[in-house]
Order: sequence, then structure tokens, then C-alpha cells
Amino acid sequence: MTLHKHPGLGDPLVRVRALTKTYREGERERAVLRGVDFTIREGELVVLLGRSGSGKSTLLNLISGIDLPTGGDVFFEETNLTRLSEQERTLFRREYIGFVFQSFNLIPTLTVAENILLPLELNGRMSPEEQEQALSFLDDVDLRDRADSFPDRLSGGEQQRVAIARALAHDPLLILADEPTGNLDFKTGRQVMNLLQRLIHEARRTMLIATHDRDILDLADRVLTLQDGTLETHTPDEVATSF
Amino acid sequence: MKRLLWKNSLRYLFRHPLLIGLSVLGVALGVAVVVAIDLANTSAREAFSLSAETVTGKATHQVIGAGEGLDERVYRDVRVGLGVRDTAPVVEGFARAPAYPGRTFQVLGIDPLADAPFRSYTGGVGSDLDLSLFIAQPQTGLMARPTADALGLALGDTLALTVGGVKQSLTLIGLLDPGDDRSAQAMDNLLVVDVATAQDLFDMPGRLSRIDVLIPDDAQGTALMARLEAAVPEGAEIVRSAARTRTVEQMTRAFNLNLTALSLLALVVGMFLIYNTMTFSVVQRRTLVGRLRALGVTRREVFVLILGEALLIGIVGTAVGLLLGIVLGQGLVQLVTQTINDLYYVLRVRTLDLSPWTLAKGAALGLGATLLATLPPAREATNAPAGAVLRRSQEESRVRDRVPKMALSGVALGVVAGALLLLPGRSITVSYGALLCVLLAFALLTPAAVVVFARVLRPVMGRIFGILGRMAARGVVTTLSRTAVAVAALMIAIAATVGVGVMVDSFRETVQVWLGYSLQADVYVQPPSLVFRRNDASLDPAVVERLTTAPGVAGVYSVQTIRVTSSEGRTDLVAIDQGPNTRRTFRFKKGDPDEVWAGFQGRDMVIVSEPYSYRYGVAVGDTITLQTNQGSRPFAVRAVFYDYGSDLGVVMMGRETYDRYYDDPGVAGLALYAAPGQDVGALVEALRARVGDAQEVIIRSNRALREASLDVFDRTFTVTIVLRLLAVLVAFVGVLSALMALQLERARELAVLRVNGLTPRQLWRYVTMQTGLMGLMAGLFSLPLGLALASVLIYVINKRSFGWTLQVDVSPEILAQAVVLALLAAMLAGLYPSWKMARSNPALALREE
Repeated sequence: MTLHKHPGLGDPLVRVRALTKTYREGERERAVLRGVDFTIREGELVVLLGRSGSGKSTLLNLISGIDLPTGGDVFFEETNLTRLSEQERTLFRREYIGFVFQSFNLIPTLTVAENILLPLELNGRMSPEEQEQALSFLDDVDLRDRADSFPDRLSGGEQQRVAIARALAHDPLLILADEPTGNLDFKTGRQVMNLLQRLIHEARRTMLIATHDRDILDLADRVLTLQDGTLETHTPDEVATSF
Repeated sequence: MKRLLWKNSLRYLFRHPLLIGLSVLGVALGVAVVVAIDLANTSAREAFSLSAETVTGKATHQVIGAGEGLDERVYRDVRVGLGVRDTAPVVEGFARAPAYPGRTFQVLGIDPLADAPFRSYTGGVGSDLDLSLFIAQPQTGLMARPTADALGLALGDTLALTVGGVKQSLTLIGLLDPGDDRSAQAMDNLLVVDVATAQDLFDMPGRLSRIDVLIPDDAQGTALMARLEAAVPEGAEIVRSAARTRTVEQMTRAFNLNLTALSLLALVVGMFLIYNTMTFSVVQRRTLVGRLRALGVTRREVFVLILGEALLIGIVGTAVGLLLGIVLGQGLVQLVTQTINDLYYVLRVRTLDLSPWTLAKGAALGLGATLLATLPPAREATNAPAGAVLRRSQEESRVRDRVPKMALSGVALGVVAGALLLLPGRSITVSYGALLCVLLAFALLTPAAVVVFARVLRPVMGRIFGILGRMAARGVVTTLSRTAVAVAALMIAIAATVGVGVMVDSFRETVQVWLGYSLQADVYVQPPSLVFRRNDASLDPAVVERLTTAPGVAGVYSVQTIRVTSSEGRTDLVAIDQGPNTRRTFRFKKGDPDEVWAGFQGRDMVIVSEPYSYRYGVAVGDTITLQTNQGSRPFAVRAVFYDYGSDLGVVMMGRETYDRYYDDPGVAGLALYAAPGQDVGALVEALRARVGDAQEVIIRSNRALREASLDVFDRTFTVTIVLRLLAVLVAFVGVLSALMALQLERARELAVLRVNGLTPRQLWRYVTMQTGLMGLMAGLFSLPLGLALASVLIYVINKRSFGWTLQVDVSPEILAQAVVLALLAAMLAGLYPSWKMARSNPALALREE
């Protein structure tokens, strides 16, 4: 289950095929995803646009292996995530995926620095060089002076910046961001998105951002829109003019 | 395991000192109770073994008589006639030292010239001992030097003693030097005297308690045994020393086992508290676990993390518990010793024996119980998929979906418990296993009961308290994953106290009824006895004469108690006179009273007590063999009577029959009937005056004896009551920690309410209403469970341990106490969170992760 850590730019990284997900609600079944197909290429910043409850978070959970689909496949290169065991999916996730959540989801009992080092430690990569490299992201998010603070001492914007640093710390193949500006005011949200984009481009990482915030569109290479369980692909310009 | 994950866990624990402190206390109390009881039991056993070892010495066998003694001519016949040199005569008994209250000496009468091969310490006498003085001068004796020092006695001092109420004295003519501390402990309570002195002290002229013999375990020994068996007279027998010691030890087996089981009940309650705390700690961190899982922490890592936290709580709790157990053990050993002295035999425990085995067992139990109690919540946290862990509402609906299945499992477990209880056999361990099943069955039924109860109460609370009342009732169901666990834990803790309380009350009531009909005479007389339940001393014949002929006495009936060897082992044989009221003082479980009382005096028949019948499987129509002075004789068992005086059982025969088979004119007690019109109080005073200084005797009215008997009953149950109080304490801590955790966890919800305009006072009302409701549920649910536990204790465990039939007596106070306790603790538990929330800034709580 080893992937190329740095595949060629523009090569397909994630291939999603005929993905379906249904939930039972009492006696009824509700389909959230109805046969979704798409590909994310290495180095792309893809925005997943959709209203609240359209299934964006579900799709992110399926791509990261947190949840399993009702049908279809999720390929990372040749590895089909849906065929892996729970344990394998967890180990896959912690090595190849970085997360940025709407509600930050920092570990309240760890300091800022420790939060950033956690993915590294989970992967058993705690050499001084690797630690220093991970902590250098604190400089990038301009929070070096808060390294020893606990999350509850930080503002929302600061917490999300720490979450971004954490998502990048272990050099993942794919970063998944679920409404990263959802809990922030406009100005802070903008700052966070700019930071995210800069870091992603600098580090030549791939990112899928789920959002309903149309202001993010100008940062995207490509836009996927999710509506009634089906997915459509657009350029950012198309979305800006047609929606 | 990852360092940062451990760091995260430790910080979580340290950020919740109050809750973690309470769970440490829960473990500590559970461990402390088990360790304390075990230490007390072990210390009592060790003290007994030590004292038995001291007086038995190296003797392999003992020659004993049919009743309480053996003619000393038997010794001469064996040693001189038969030429068995490795023999030694022994006269032993107990004497009180009135100058040192609570001090009872074991008096060992020996022949110093024959004793050396048997007891080494007799060779440890200081060189200043004049052996001729020891043998020739009456009323002289030896004691251990440390004991003499402790009592402030020196050589030549006289020690005043009372034996069976008769005043005696002994001059110290030598001091024994124990070689080590163990010997010093063994000899702490020992007075060594010459055989002749002992015969004087115990009024046994020409008689011995036993003859100690050394028989090698080889062909020569077998031959010697055969010669001895041929030589000893009818009625006497040769027994192995170890077997005799074991018989005495076995007397307290059921008593010890039940104490241990009750202490384990406290541990089970403690386990529920740990389970409760760990469940809360997991539930509280459901989101955190979800975050970790999303970041790639595996299930196994989460599982190990939670068990690691529990282990830490377990280690601290167990360490505190062991220390507390030792402190508690110091007090309990006195209570256990007191009970053994009241019911079984004379025992003095000098120190608490800190057995490493007991401490290791306590540590293993504490840690094992903590880990075991943590397994379900740890599995719960790790088995949920990472996505689901992030959604609490989904978890709650999952729990609610499982309620019917859990209730069904509870019913199934109840059936298993019933089947275990109905299993034929006498295993007390199986009975306690069934008891555990009953507890778990009720725990599994709790979520369903909570849902039903809350649904019923919601409109009622709404009508009384308005919207806050409805919210409080509804809140209990919406957070069922936590509330059900808390209610179950409280219910079990409180039910344990109800069960034990009802059992003790029922027992007391049964004993009271029994005393009511079995004590019919107006006045009872007996010499002071070292063991309350056994008459081990005799009344002076002159005293019997004075009492029998006293004015105002219309009728006198005697009783004599001796220990004899029966086909079922050593047992108490009671011989009674029969009067017109005798029939009324007995209630038969089996047997025809007309037939029994018509032929009781003179015929070769006996009646046996219920515990005896149960213990040895003896029924009406069977025959038991008793050693008499005329050899082994068969006696027909004609009835089984209810008797709550001895759990070891007694055999009873008519005095006329007794006199035919035993050369013993002794009288251990008298029951006197006052003449018509005679004032009983005045008669007691007159009888006391008439006895004078002839012998110290206890003369009590019927009422006084009843009260004294109940006092002893209460004393013997003190340990049980202490255990019950400890269970109440554990329960209280449980209520406090469970409900406090629940409310603190809801800080965000409470903050939302505050933001929406709930005043601090209203918040307090809301929180206490909800905790009160849960307390009420736990209190009410604990009643059927408590009664079920009491029934198992009374009908199964008590029956299997002692063979007694008890009448169930449920006092409303115990039931009310349970509900009030639960309610009170629940309301108290609500105080801190509501106080904290009322003072804190709601904005902070809303912002908190």
C-alpha cells in the first residue's frame, strides 16, 4: 500500500468511480451520493461547492477512508481505499492525508507545537530534522510565538492557522479541507484561504476544499458542484458566471 | 505507544482532578474493604494457628475422652503399663484476669518431666526456675517474659484469675524466654502450670483434657497405634492433632467466607463506579476520540490509551486502598475477633498480620477490577467508526435503539441467575455468582426503565415545574448513554445496602421471635462463659443447691453442655431437664412433638438443631453415634428443631438419658420459674444475695437475657453493618461523581440556557431537578433489586452457609432510607455544577472546545 510520495505534477492522484452513499432514516433510505465520478490530479486545488447538507462532508469522509461508501470505488493511484480494512484505512489516512476542519478540531490537551507534531509522531517520524521542518510551518502561519500555548488561548483564526500547519506537517499527498472558513469572519476567512493557497502552491500539494463560500472560487484550479447527489465539473469562470 | 497521545491523556486527567479524584476514591474504597476484611480474617486465622501450634506442639496424636475429660489413670496405663514413653498429659482451659480487662489466658497444664519432646518452649524456662517448686507447690505458673513485662508483673507476683466464675490465683515462679517474635506472639497469652495446678484451677480432679502422643509415621507407628487403640478405655479415642485443629478452624469457615463475599460486594459496587467514571471520561471525549481517529490514530491505539488511563487510576486507587485497608483492618480485626469470641472459640489477636499474599490479592483485584470495568467503555469508543464518533446524536440514537435488546439480555441473565440459584448443591461461590448475575440483569434493564419512567414523569413534572420540569425529564432520555449508566451504578450501590440491611433485619427479627418462645422461664443462671454462645463452665453444686431451694422458686430445670465426638465429628451435646413448659420452648421443623416429648427422658433418642441437620445431612429417622463413657452408642434422631443459637449445630438429649451414658453430674445453667405472685426482680436480687461469694454467676431475668442475647447478635453483625456503611459511602461517592460528571459535561448546554435568559437560580433548579430525578429513579429501582438481593442472601446464601430458616422482615425505614439517600446524594451532586455554571461566564463555556 505504498504510494509515490511525489508523483508527477498533473498525474491522476485520486480517482473516484461510481460512488454512492445512502443513509437509512427510519424506514426510508436517503441517497446522498448517486454514482459520483471524478479525478483529482497531483498539484490541483479543487473546490467542492454545494449547499449545506448536499453531501460535501460525506464525500470528504469517503475519500479519506473515515467512512465507507454504499457502492463504488476510491483509488489512490492503484490502491482502492474501499477494499482496505479499517486498520489499513486508518494507517493510510495518517500517512497520506491532511485534514482541515470547519471547527478546527485541535486537541485541547496538547499545545500548539504538540498538535503540529502529532501526525508526525503517529507516523513514527520524529527525527529532530523532521520535527524542525514540521515546526517551521509555525513560522509560515506566523504563530511561532504561540508554540507553547494551548488551543483554548487562541482566537478562531489562529486555531485554524494551527490546523493548516498540522495538516501540512507530515507532508501528505492530499489535503482535505471541510468548510475551513465556516467558523471565521470574512476577513479572517480570507486571510486563512490565502495562506492555505500559498502554502499548498509552495509545497506543491494537492487539495480538495469543500465549501459553500463562493468567494473561494478564484483560488481554485477546478470546481466540482454537488447537487442532489450528483457531481458536475466546471472551471471557476463558468461557475462565477452561471451560478 | 505515542508519547504525545499519553501526554494528551495525562493532561486530560489532570484537568479533571475532582472527577478523577472521585474515581480514585471509588477504587480505593473497594480495595480497602476487601483488604481490610481479608487482613482481619487472615490475622484471626494466623493467631488461632499460632495458639493451636503452641499448645499442640509436636504431638502427632491426642487421646481424648468421651465428654470433656479423660481419667488420668489412662495416662498411667499408657505410659507405664503399655510402656509408651512419648506421651504427655495435658489439662487445658481458659482463665480471665480481672485486673486486666479483656485479657483471657490460655492455661496449659503439663508434666514438665514428660513434656520436653512435645513443646520446646518448656525448655526455654530461665535457669532460675525451681522445678520442684513448679511441680510441688500448688497455684504456681510461668508466663512469657514480654507478657509479664507488658502487664507489669515480676517473679513472685500473684496473678488473680477467675475460671468459670470461681476466683483463683497463681504465683509467677518463672518466666519463659521466647526465642523470636513469632514465639513471643504465640506465647503472649499463655500460662503454663503443672498438671495438678490445672486440675485444681478447672475443677478436674483426677482428670485430664487429653494425652499428647508422638506416633511415628511408619510400620512401628502403625503397630503402636494398634496397641494404643486396644488400651484406651471405652469412650476414649485417638485422633490426629492436625485434624482436631482443622475442625476448630472449620467452625469459622462459613463466617469468614461470607465476610469475604460481602467485602467483594463492595468491590463490585466500586467496579460499577469505575465503569461509570471511565464511561463518562470516554463519552466526554467522544469528539476528541473522533478527531484523533480522523488524524489516523488506530482503534487499537485508542483502546490502549483508555486502558492506560484506567490503569493509572487503578494504580493510584489501589495504592490508597491498600493503605486504607490496613488502617480499616486494625479496627475490623477487633470486630472479627469479638465475633469469633462470642460465637466460636476464645481467641486473642495481638497484631494485624500484614500478609503479603493479602496485599498482593488486593492489588490484583483493584487493578483487575479497574481494567475489567474499563473494557466496555474502551471497546465502545474504539469500535465506533471514525465518522460516527464525531456525531454524538448518532451515538445517542444507537443507544436508544439498543434499549430493547439490552432489556431482553437482562431478562435472559435473570433466568440464568434463577437457574444457578435452583441448582442443587451447597456451593456458596455459585450462589454469589448468581447474585452477580442478578445485579447485571437489573443493570441491563435500567435503560428501559429510565425511558419508561421519564416518559411517565415528563407530563407530571411539566405540570408542577413548567417547561424546566419537562426539559429535565426529557434530558434524562436524550442523554441516555450517560444517564442510564449513572442510574444503574447508583441503583446497584444502593441496592447492595438495601439487600444487606433487609437480611440483617430479617435475621434479627427471626432471632427475636425465637428468643420469645425459647426463653419461657423467669430467671436464668449461668457461670460467666468465655464464649457467649457456649456454656463452657459449670455451676458449683453448692450454688445449684442454694438456688434450687431458694424461697420464691417454683420450678428448676437444668441444662448441661459438653463437646463430644459424634459420627459427624466434634459437636455440642446439650442435656436438658424436661418440665411442663419444655414443649413450648421448641418448634420443630420436622418430627412429631407428641412422640418426642413422651419418650425424650431416658430413651436413646436425640433431637438435632436445624443447622446440625443441614450441616451433616441428618434427618428424622436417622441414627447418629455419640462417644459416651460407655463407648460409642447409637441414638435415634426424632426431630429437627429451629435454633439460632449456634450455626455449628447442637444435639440435644434428655438429662436422664445423659446421666445414663455420661459420668458427669455437672450443670452449666439453670432455668428457674418464680412462684405465683413472686416479683421476678426481687427474686433475682434475692438469688444473687443467696449465692454470695461462693461463685461468680450471672443471674438474669428473662428480659435481661433476651436483651443480652440481642446485644451479642448486634455485636456479631457489627462487621456486616460496618461493611454496609462502607457500601453506602461508596454509593454516595458514586452518586456524587456520576451526576457531577454528567452535569459538568453539559456545561455548553447550560451556557446556552444561561445565554437565553435562565437566571442562576433557575439554572440551579433545573440541574437539581434533573439530578434529583435520576436519584429518585436510582432509589426506586434499587428497591426491587435490593429485595431480590436480600431474598438471595436469606433463602440461598444464608441457608447454604448456616442452614437457618429466616423469616423475611422488610422494614419500611430501610426502603425509605435508600430512596432518601439516593435523592440527597443526587441533589448534593447537582450543587457544584450549578454553582459553577451560575458563576462562570456563559460565553466562555460556549467558546470552550
